[in-house]
Amino acid sequence: MLDVRVQRRLGGFQLDAAFRAAQEMTVLFGPSGSGKSLTLQCIAGIVRPDAGRIVADARTLFDSDAGVNLPPQARRVGYVPQNYALFPHLTVEENIAYGLRDLPPAQRAARVREMVELMALAGLESRRPRELSGGQQQRVALARALAFRPDVLLLDEPFSSLDSGIRGGLREELLALHRRAGVTTVVVTHDLEDAFLLGQRMAVMDGGRVLQEGPREEVFYRPISRRVAEFVRTRNVLRGTVLSADEEALHIAWRGHVLEAPPRPLTAETPVDVCIRPTQIMIFRLDRPPSETRQNTLHGCIVEERIQAETYRLFLRLAPSGAGLVGGGPAVTDCQPSADDGPAHYDLEIELPGYVYFRLGLDRRKEVTVSIRRDAIHVIPGGDP
Amino acid sequence: MALGIAAMALVLFLLLPLVAIFVRVLPQDDLRDYLNRPVVTEALRLSFITTAISLGVILALGTPTALLLARRRFPGRDVIDTLLDLPMVLPPAVAGIALLMAFGREGLLGDALDALGLQVAFTTAAVVLAQVFVASPFYVKAAKAGFEAVDQELERVSATLGRSRLETFLRVTAPLARPALLGGAVMAWARALGEFGATLMFAGNTPGRTQTMPLAIYTALTEDTTAALVLAAVLVVLSFAVLLVSKLLLGWSPGGSRA
Repeated sequence: MLDVRVQRRLGGFQLDAAFRAAQEMTVLFGPSGSGKSLTLQCIAGIVRPDAGRIVADARTLFDSDAGVNLPPQARRVGYVPQNYALFPHLTVEENIAYGLRDLPPAQRAARVREMVELMALAGLESRRPRELSGGQQQRVALARALAFRPDVLLLDEPFSSLDSGIRGGLREELLALHRRAGVTTVVVTHDLEDAFLLGQRMAVMDGGRVLQEGPREEVFYRPISRRVAEFVRTRNVLRGTVLSADEEALHIAWRGHVLEAPPRPLTAETPVDVCIRPTQIMIFRLDRPPSETRQNTLHGCIVEERIQAETYRLFLRLAPSGAGLVGGGPAVTDCQPSADDGPAHYDLEIELPGYVYFRLGLDRRKEVTVSIRRDAIHVIPGGDP
Repeated sequence: MALGIAAMALVLFLLLPLVAIFVRVLPQDDLRDYLNRPVVTEALRLSFITTAISLGVILALGTPTALLLARRRFPGRDVIDTLLDLPMVLPPAVAGIALLMAFGREGLLGDALDALGLQVAFTTAAVVLAQVFVASPFYVKAAKAGFEAVDQELERVSATLGRSRLETFLRVTAPLARPALLGGAVMAWARALGEFGATLMFAGNTPGRTQTMPLAIYTALTEDTTAALVLAAVLVVLSFAVLLVSKLLLGWSPGGSRA
């Protein structure tokens, strides 16, 4: 368990970050310059915060009010910097044993063997860091940081210096290692894919502040601000206005359509950002309208498509409200090619598996009906510019 | 081709005077006799002792100074940095007179030293002071560059792995800066060994007390040219041996290819 609240001024930059990490792996995610690494350095004791409090497993590492500031060597925090910082003059074995000075030689050797085995470094014990591949170097750095059984493990951009080809495998390794070692782990990354795959818990940082903190799905699917939505690359962030709100539902006006969302205590006319996950939009062929009453039924035509292996991304331009085939009448949507075609001029992005695409006989220029369950609509109040 | 010619010209120019010494020295059949003369042995002994002490002082005070300059930013840092370079460009005669004005009987600290019953000028201690004054910048400069080249992230990681500052210095910083430290130490030692002007003015030229090898060579040149040549040859051989050994040591430095 790690509880962090730090403030630190650095030139014109003000860090003011707070977050918690527990047994699950926590990702500090944000663009470069957002203060992620600085936060990590405050936890490791390398940078002294101006104010704040850092508590790890009931041990106070730093508390400006109580005048506590443990030096890094007393914090029991394993720190793996971006370049791994392996000691170039020491062998793999010596690097791993570096933090085990307090153990008797026999136990130290046993612990080193254990780490060599855990990190699959057998046979490389007497190599020097420069004789290792990037992935091997990372494993040595992890072994060294974990060997002395730290209370907290900190990883700064663990994959940034590696080829994308081996990243995937190393992510899996890190997850497996985390399951086995069971140590509170904080990973700093600016890579969304890393963040999503590693972080069971996430804190999104920008400008020295934590914008949102919580379980991964919460942050990804229910961003609390447009800024967070942009960082986690939420697609379909629609700017609308509250039409009416009661205990039953929230109605939002958006580009001439009305969307129904779960009830929220918002007043009419409030600007809102509506997030609709592309995978949560159901799609129907125009000639086979949904049999039962669907929520948020809209229709339009597919103006563009992007194919990513087994996944199809469709870009939909909606027909004006009231037009179309809700009652089974004739199509009035103009689905002819136009200069406005392409992903830049669309209203909704939809993502679906290839088999659905083929089963529905979809294609560019096809007219379709879509339905969005109201539970799949996430509303961010405010609508700041 | 042009590079080769230029290099050849310089190498010949550097080599010729050295060869000239040995051309005169080696044919001497009483070489052993000369090597055993008191003027030679005394000068050798004195040079050894004084340069060893000077090097000890330089390492003891220069290492923390270099680390401070390499790792900390503080007001006046650039001034100190420049001040440390000054003895390298000052003519030794200026160093000699400056040391006299500080530690001599009439110098700034003359009365204080007198009150303690200490006389510095024209003693063996003055030889050491003169050597430290002119030679320490060579070590400090090299050591500072060496420390600056050590990635501070390594020191930070060492701290998170439970090591104190001293342990981190001994186990990480110093081993990684070893080639620079060793190189700087050799350069400083060589500069101390060759110290002449400042020593002559501040310590005098007393055989057995302040007459180091370079002073002995200078003194002998007018009276006994052969003795001067033998001393010179010994100095050349010694210097060459030290440089060679340190090069080999650098080649074996752990972690490797930085030498």
